[in-house]
Parts: sequence; structure tokens; C-alpha cells
Amino acid sequence: MSNIQSQRWLLNRRHFLRGLGAVMALPLLDAMIPLRARAAVANKPRRSVFVYIPNGVNGMTWQCPTAGRDYQLSAALQPLAKHREEFTVFSGLHHPNGLGQAHVCADTWLTAAKIDAQSGRKYENTVSVDQVMAEVVGQQTRIPSLELSISSGTGRPFNANTLAFTRDGVPLPAEDNPKQIFNRLFGEETGGIASQRARLTKRRSVLDAVHDDAQSLRLELGKDDRTKLDEYLHSVRDVEQRAERLDAWLDVPKPALDKKVAVPFQRDVPKAQAGEYWRTMFDLMVLALRTDMTRVITYMNGSEGNGLAIPEIGITQARHNLSHHNGDPVVLERLAKSDTFIMEQFAHFLDELRATKDGDEPMLDRTMVLFGSGMSYGHSHANSNLPILLAGGRGLGLKHGQHIDYNRPHLKEDYTLSYDEWRALCGKPKDDKARLSNVMLTMLQKMEVNSEKFVDSLGPVSEVV
Amino acid sequence: MKRLLTTTLIAQAALTVAMQAAVQTAPAAGLDAIVKPFFEEHCNKCHNEKKHKGDLRTDILKTDFDSPKTMAHWEEIMNRINSGDMPPDDEKRPKPEDVARVAEWIVGQLHEAEVAMQNSGRERVAFRKLTREEYANTVRDLLGVNFDVTAPTGLPEDPDWHGFERIGSVLSLSPAHVEKYLAAADTVLDEALSIRPEPQREVIAWKAFDLRWKGFQKEYEARGIADQVRIEIVPNNYTTDSWDLTVKTTGMYLLRLKLSGLRPEGGRAPRLKVYMSSIDKTLLEQDIDAPENAPITVEALVHLTAGKYPIRIINSVPGPNPEGRRSRHSGTPNAFTNTRSRVPWQLKLTDDDFKPIQPTLIIDEITWDGPIVDSWPTAAHQRVFFGGESATKDPAYAREILTRFAEQAWRRPARPAEVDRLLKPVEQAQKLGDSFEGAVKNGLMAVLCSKSFLYLEEGESRKTAPKLNDYELASRLSYFLWSSAPDARLLDLARTGKLHEPETLRAATRRLLADPKAAAFAQGFPRQWLQLRKVGMFPPDKALYPDYDENLEQSMVAETVGFFGDVLKRNGRLGEFLNSDWTLVNERLATHYGITGIRGDAMQRVALPPEQHRGGLLTQAAILSLTSDGTRHRPVHRGVWVLESIIGRPPPPPPANVPALDTPAAGVKKTTVREKLEQHRADPNCTACHNKIDPLGVAFDNYDAIGRWRTVESVRDGTGADPALDPSGTLADGRKFADARELKQLLVADLDKFAAAFTDKVATYALRRGVTFGDREELKRIAEQSKASDYRLAALIEALVTSPLFQKR
Repeated sequence: MSNIQSQRWLLNRRHFLRGLGAVMALPLLDAMIPLRARAAVANKPRRSVFVYIPNGVNGMTWQCPTAGRDYQLSAALQPLAKHREEFTVFSGLHHPNGLGQAHVCADTWLTAAKIDAQSGRKYENTVSVDQVMAEVVGQQTRIPSLELSISSGTGRPFNANTLAFTRDGVPLPAEDNPKQIFNRLFGEETGGIASQRARLTKRRSVLDAVHDDAQSLRLELGKDDRTKLDEYLHSVRDVEQRAERLDAWLDVPKPALDKKVAVPFQRDVPKAQAGEYWRTMFDLMVLALRTDMTRVITYMNGSEGNGLAIPEIGITQARHNLSHHNGDPVVLERLAKSDTFIMEQFAHFLDELRATKDGDEPMLDRTMVLFGSGMSYGHSHANSNLPILLAGGRGLGLKHGQHIDYNRPHLKEDYTLSYDEWRALCGKPKDDKARLSNVMLTMLQKMEVNSEKFVDSLGPVSEVV
Repeated sequence: MKRLLTTTLIAQAALTVAMQAAVQTAPAAGLDAIVKPFFEEHCNKCHNEKKHKGDLRTDILKTDFDSPKTMAHWEEIMNRINSGDMPPDDEKRPKPEDVARVAEWIVGQLHEAEVAMQNSGRERVAFRKLTREEYANTVRDLLGVNFDVTAPTGLPEDPDWHGFERIGSVLSLSPAHVEKYLAAADTVLDEALSIRPEPQREVIAWKAFDLRWKGFQKEYEARGIADQVRIEIVPNNYTTDSWDLTVKTTGMYLLRLKLSGLRPEGGRAPRLKVYMSSIDKTLLEQDIDAPENAPITVEALVHLTAGKYPIRIINSVPGPNPEGRRSRHSGTPNAFTNTRSRVPWQLKLTDDDFKPIQPTLIIDEITWDGPIVDSWPTAAHQRVFFGGESATKDPAYAREILTRFAEQAWRRPARPAEVDRLLKPVEQAQKLGDSFEGAVKNGLMAVLCSKSFLYLEEGESRKTAPKLNDYELASRLSYFLWSSAPDARLLDLARTGKLHEPETLRAATRRLLADPKAAAFAQGFPRQWLQLRKVGMFPPDKALYPDYDENLEQSMVAETVGFFGDVLKRNGRLGEFLNSDWTLVNERLATHYGITGIRGDAMQRVALPPEQHRGGLLTQAAILSLTSDGTRHRPVHRGVWVLESIIGRPPPPPPANVPALDTPAAGVKKTTVREKLEQHRADPNCTACHNKIDPLGVAFDNYDAIGRWRTVESVRDGTGADPALDPSGTLADGRKFADARELKQLLVADLDKFAAAFTDKVATYALRRGVTFGDREELKRIAEQSKASDYRLAALIEALVTSPLFQKR
């Protein structure tokens, strides 16, 4: 553990600039990125984490009935009570492009894209906010961004297992196995540096060859109709740049972890033990952040089709089944119980982030965590009034301890927390300016990504900045 | 689509529609007859030249559906009127059936435009990515390596489009894919070629004392009973009984188990599952039905990658796990030589008459034998390094090796300039000190990561080709029937330029279909057509369906896939898919269906008397389950599935935010889902579409969420007896049916319609794109041609392959 304390494993400035030299030698790279990254390297890390839960929540127990700084915490949010000053609750947020679309809520949670799920038109997504961040801050860490999920891979269109999408709108496969993720992050490189470097050099010669091959055809084709070929070319180019990066990182030792730290991640944790699995994943995220392996993480705590049952509290139905509650009070109560259980796990994540020191501050202060779902009222796939929280990042200037409620000014009376009220709030936005993209833009700016707009954003959330 | 609006084509399209009746409304006719009058009456008042509220004018809407912007406009209009959002509340409400007709017209146009975009002929060179299954088959045929694409180290899962997993425009590629392709090529070539040291075949044997009772070996030997020690595996032992296996060398291994399986009288046999928990891979799974004194040996040829893995030996038959009631690890000797020496807390496997109490596996030995290689150097190595040891290892030889390999891998001859590029990685590796073979391997890597391997490439860069060339045709045919690359014979036909000739093509189709590799089609097509990937996607609630287990789920899918395979193999008729007097079951599925007298795991053909209420695909448990949600049956989902998969006419999407079905207040009489739906449908906005959808689903109400027959619906809320089910209904054309059996008869009477829909599906699978207006005439001819031979399945496939459509780009 010793070098975690000294942070010796971090890429020092000289290494970093040498790495940049190599990267800048690549012809196609946007020369602006290293410049921006260079400016950022002098500052302390800024981090973002995105945590997704599927199928919406039970809005009757989730909704905080009063707004402002002295708002009343709802039943579902009680597990977060001790972190009250560390987060902001939102009501009334939505993605305008997502309205009326049943099955794209996870696919577009971080992209805000317009995808027509129903008529099954060609599926085209756009870049997700985490990847926009990774383009900038990812230059400084061994791994630009980490994609984690309840299921590995990308899933399918309209049933994504990942939140992250590239500039081409292509899903980035997520990982679900704590042991494999741990070993990828902290495992030893096979062979010595010289053999690793030779391997990378050979790999790059292969990539060059296949790139030239595709490029020569592309030049023969006109400007039209080459999307699939471009997708291939971009991907190959991207992997080439990654190989460059890996080369640059070869001389930097990985953080040496105490054996005891590794133990919890070397077990097989079955997903049938939902709580144990979720805590292990959250702990792994904390470890990845504190060792600065990455500064951007997306994590699907569950996907629309795979929201775990929680046998340890007697919930044997998967979350998808609970969300199609049909108004049944028994099922709704289980959904509320499941919400609360998930919030307990999330509270554990915030505990750990707060307990971990990043220099003289809690790591939570330099880490923004967006938590929520792309659906609100699961039973009929309604997606206005999304359940959303933004936690952490006070050290980056975020102001918390409040409930920002975009519904209330448009309601005739106080919340009744009734079923019909919940359903109605989720059916159609009360305030069409209450866009989730505004929160994402706020985060982008706090990450020092030079950006004035994210998809349909109207501006940063003034109450938190 | 703009072109379709020219007069001649409209006339042709309209004619096609009139004749076929199962396709969408012709564009122009519908626009004038349905859409324009509707807009005139309800929209133009506000969305006109002067007012154009919301920046929209409905008086002059564009109909060029190939423009994404236009599509988006139409879609917005559809969503707004469909949800009742437009016209606004203070305006006159349009009639629901008019809304439905407009929505249906728009959906039809959007669908047409969408599939038109999938048409590869639009691009001069089209790239259709291989699916990961096709990748695995192709490297298997090319290099003799079984690469496990579904493992975490394999390839990302492919997305599907309406169930079809091979639609070119939907399959995308990301940097993560490229990383995986690189790693895969490296792994596959390492295993295929004999550059590494010759692997030593070894047998790892796990005997009773290796698995358990380690400390007792000496004592039992002294007592002379060491040879009688066996390992019992109780039901439901998912988390115990795990042992570590270290695989030194990647390759094929023979896994062999000697064991007994005690089946209690009238109960189920224990089920062995050998499972690699860390990579979620099942190596072997089957029922074991063998008495204690007559153990059997079961084996499987498995591919293992070097590494250390926990291996779980699971008895996956459901049932209580008696583990908690015994003291396996106490210091007390566990062995007993007669019944009187048993200690009370020991687990009893049999009763006092030595009859099994519960399904238990008793293991004697597990062996791992491998890696098994065909020869050394491997056959693949000898093919690649064709000159043998005596060849001069110079650049000219390297060039020849790469030229030959690229031709097989790319399914077409490689051009000299392409081979030049492949030589660069070879040179780079040689500079770094690699051996000749090692350096050539780096060039082979490039072959396997190049666009021409990873994609089916169709067309030429310099001119627009309307038809496939013979090499492209060979690939289309082999990926259609084998999900793999053309073999040497097929490539030879392409080289001679004769493949496209109808008789050659017909003969090739027959040869490919008769080959064992055609199993890829026999399984892949029904899985994708019927969307079997959805079976088990929302696992049935354990409390409501305690009988549901993994074995049942696998058996359900095996029935439906096997059913299709049986019809294909016999060259049976399409009508069998709609109704049949036979099906395939194994013991587990037979129990589920209430069919007696079937023993064992293997699927076997049984006759279906009427009282079984089965026959055809529609009443198979897999279909009935995938259209349910794990809690209850979903008549609407079932209706939509029938419209989409059997009738070939998917309905328009539901409007957003439909209110939930109400839960009845306490004390109210129990109602069926159908009755609740009917209350729901009192809303006239819903009836127009649901009148078409619901009867096709309600007809199957006699089958519950896991496909069991019943006559009453179990309802939790409410009072009184569980209500009786009413599966009767009326089709949109007015024909009535009393139940699923009668509905099936109506569908059989409409066999031509089903044949048309089925032809669309096979064409979608073969062409790797949806079918569109431009294809209708051809598709109709194909269906007609197969009708002449009684709608026999193989005849339909031959008619498709030899049609001009199959060679169309």
C-alpha cells in the first residue's frame, strides 16, 4: 500500500509530457486535446461517476414532498440522511428526446439522443457525457474511462448493458466480473517491459497494415456511403492510439496493492447475493478512483432486463417484474423496499468516498456522482420526472443539501404522494426546461471540459454551481 | 422512397398490395385517401402557411421518406396524434379508427424507408460485419480452432433487429471490438499453428480422495474399503462442491466422468452440470439415470483456455438441498460398511429398502485429458506453411503464404497491393527478432483483423454493381446456410464463374443443406425468426412458478428449434409450423405437458392426440413463455408476436403513457386478464389497434405464462372462484374462432399469407436486411414457386437462392 500514500505510481509530469510527445506524433489526433489536458494536469484530479438503476422507482416513497434547503427527505432516501449536505435531489427532470420512447431509457441516459425505439428504425446513438469527459481527463490516467455493469458486453439496442457510447454512437462494452476488472486494473503485465514494448510494436504494425488497407479503399470511394468503413477506420485508429498510450505508460509502475486489499476482489461473488455483489462493485470503483487508474466511471447497477432480485430481504422478483406492478400495493411495497435497499448500497459508496482522503480533502469532494434512472414510472414506461441525485464535488464548487423541484411551481397544491399523482407527474414534464442535460452540462463544466451545451441543454443548473 | 412516388411505380406497388393484401398500404393511395383528408379536417387549421404552429405545416408535408428529417417529422406527427396530444383538447376529437389508420400508414412508410436504407445496393461497397457466431465458425473452418466467442475473453454480443442478429446496418464495430479481434486472432493463431512447443497430453484425474475425505485415505486403506469411497452430490448444491482446475495449455480436452445417478421412484433423475463459475461456461449438462451399482461414463470434448478455474460439479435438478442436516466435516469417520454402523446425523441417500430418497449423483472419478491435437505440426500449420520444413524461408515464401491464406480468409483472391501491405507486419516482427514463422504469424494477424475478413464486402469501388459477383454470391450462400465461409469447392465454383448459373446454384444449395454445417441454419434461423433469445429473459417468478427450472427452459427451446430442424430435414411442409399432430419432447418437457411414458434427456418425436391441446409452433411452451413476462401471460404481447412473426404485419407502437390496468378493490369478484383488458379497451383510442392485436393473443389464454394448459385463470386479488377463461375471438376480417385450435385452423386456411410472411423472414435472414417494396414481386414469385411444390421447406429455400433477388446487391 505504501506507494498509494506517496502517489508514486501517478504519471509524473515528465512521463506525461513524454507520453504526449508520442501521442502528438500521430497524424490524426486532435492537437487541441493534449493542450487542454496539459493545462489540466497541473490541477488536482476531477472525477465523475455515473450510477444507473433500471425501471424507475416507486415514486410515492421516493418523492421528497418539500423543496429547497430545508426539504424533507423521503422514505426511500433515508439511507442517505447522513450525507444530506453532500448531495442535491432533483424532481421533474427529463430528456425531451426520450419522452414517449419505451425502451431507450438506459441507452440514452447519458447521451440524451433521439432514438425511435418503437418503429425499430436504424438505431443511432450519440456520444455519452462520460466519454466527452474521458476525451479530456482520460489523457492523464492509465485508463481513460471504466465501464461497469450488471451484465458484460454492450447488450442490445433498446436494452443496453452499458451507459457509455463513443463519438460514433457505438456502445462501449461493460464489464461485470469484479475479479476480472481488478486483475485488468492491478494485475501484473506479463513479461518484462521490453517484451511488452515489442508486443505493442508488433500490434501497431498489424493495426497500421489493416488501417492502410481500409484507407486505400476509402480514398477510392466518394464522400457518400462509407459509414461502416468509417466506423472500422475510426475504431482501428482509436486502438492504435491506445497502444501508443500503453507504450507511454509502460515505464510507470502500477500501484502496488497490499495483498489484503486484493482479497475481496479475488472471490466469485454471485449476483444472487445482490447486496454483496453491489458492494463489491462499489468498493472496486472506490479503489480504481483512489489509485487514479481512471477518473470517469459509468456503472449500471442493473439494466432494464437485469435488475437483480434481492433474496436477502425476501424479494424474489427481478426489478423489471416489480416495476410492472400494475398498481398492485403489494408489489409497489416490494419496489419501495428494493429502492431503499439500493439506496443503502449507494450510501455505502458515498461513505467510502467520503472516508478516502484525496490529499487533504475527502475524495467525495473532488468526485461528482450522478445517480438515477432513465425511467420514472416503470409500469407504462413513463419517463418524465426522473429520479435523479447529484452527489459529491463540493471541492469542485458544487453546492448541495437541497431539493431542486421543477414540478412544484406548476402544481396547484402540495404533493399528496398518491398513485395517480405519481403517474401523472411521470407522464408529461411539468416544466419543459427541466432537462437532465442541464445537470450533465454542469458536470462537464466542473470537469473543466470546455463546453457550453450538451445536446439539448439550456445551461448549467444555477442552484448548484 | 421518392422514386416510388413516380406514377408507374405507384401503380405497380398498388397492384402488388391489392394482390397480396398482407403488406402495407401503398404510399400515394394512402396519402390521398387516408392522410390528407384527416389533416384537412383536424390539423391544417393551425399548421398552415400563415399560422404554422410549432414550425409545422401539415398542408404541404413532404413525403420523401429517405430523408431522416422527413421521417422524424412524420414520426412526431404519429406520436402526437396517437397519444391524443394533438389535436389539442379544445378542438374536435378525431375518430379513433381514423387516428389508427393514419398511424398505421405512417408506420408502414417509416418501416419501408428504414429497410430501404438497409439495402446494400445503396452503397457502392457494402460492409456486413460477421456476427460473433459467424466469426467462430469461420475460424473453426479456416484454422481448426474452437474459439469461444461467448467467453468474457471472446467477442461482444451482437445486437438484433426484430430478432434477426445479422442485419448489416445494425451490427456496429467499436474500438472494443478491434481490441477483441486482435486478442482473438492472437489466441486462435497461437493454438492453430505449431510455433509454440509441442503440447504434452496429460490426464488430470480427480478421484474420491482428491475431491473429499482427504484425511481419511490412510485409515480407509487400512480398513480395506478405500476403493469403495464415492462422492455424493445432493440437489441444488450451487455454491458448494467446487474444485480448482489448472489448465497448462489451451486446447481441446476430453472431459470424462464416471458416476451413478439415483432416481427416486416416480421422481426426476439427478442432473449433472459441470460448470466453470468464473467464466460462466457450462461444459457438460445432462440427466444421469444409473443405479448405484452400475455407474456409467459420460464425456464431452471441451475447449479450455490456459488458466486456473474453479469447476463446480452441480446437481442441477431442483429440490431441497439436504446439506444443512448433516455433518460432513466432523471428525467422525463417514464410512460405514453396513446399515447398522450409520450415525443418525449422516445423510441418507436411500431408505431401508435401499431405494433412493432423492435424486443424488455419486461420483467415482473425473478426468481431464488433453490437450488433444490432431497431429504435430497441426494440420492448419501444414496448410499455412505449405512448403514444409524444406522451404526456403525468404520474403517470396512469406508472400506466397499470405496470398494463399488471405484468399481463404477473405473468400476471394487477394490483390498484390493488398499482400504488400500484409508483409509490413512480417518485416516489423523480423526486425524485433522473431523467427520466420513467428513473423509470418504477425502478417496472418493482419489478415484476420482486416476489413475483408471481418466484413462481408459486397460491391466495387469504381462502379456501381447491381448484382453480386460469384465470390460474393458464394459467401452469401455459405453464410446463409452454414453461418461460415465458403469451402474450397464453393470457392472453386466461384473461380470458374459458374456459380450464379441456376443449376449450379441449386446443386450447391442442396450440397450445403446436406452438410452437417447446415445445423447453423437449422438452429440459427428459428431462434432469430421466432425471437427465442427472449425465452427466459424475464425469468418466471419462483413463487408463482415453482416448477420452472433451467432444464425446462432449455427443453422448451430445444423443442422449438428441433421442430424446425425436423421439418427442414424431412423437407416437410410450411403448414406444419402452424399446426401438427406431432412434436418433440424429452422427459422434462413431457412432464410439463402432462405427456407420460417419456424417459431421458434426448428430444424424441411424439404423436399429439387432440386432448394434449398442442401442435405447431404457436402452442409450444417456448413461444408461450417468451410472450409472457414472468408473472402472468400477456395476451397483447402474444398478439403482437403473432402479427409480427406469423402474419408478418407488426402493429403500430402504443401511444406513450398508457394508464395501468386497475387493481380491483377488495371484495370484488375475481376477473381474468382478458376482462381487465376489455375494460381498458373501452377507451376508443385503444380499440382500433387492439381489435386487431388482442384476439390473436387472447386465443392462447388457455396457456399460462410458462405454457401449461389450464381452463381457469389463477387470480390472486378478489373474491370467489378463479374465473373461467374465454379464448374465443373474432379476426379483423370478421371470421370467428372459439379457441386456439380453431384459430390455428383459420391460419392454416390462410396458408398463402403465412407462406408470404415466412418467405420474408427467410429472405431477411439470407440477405441480412429487411425486405422492402422493391423486393415484393420477387418474394411473391418465390412463394408461388414453392407453392407449386406444396410449400415444402427445402423447395422454398432453393427457390429463394436461385431467384434474382438472392443475387441482388
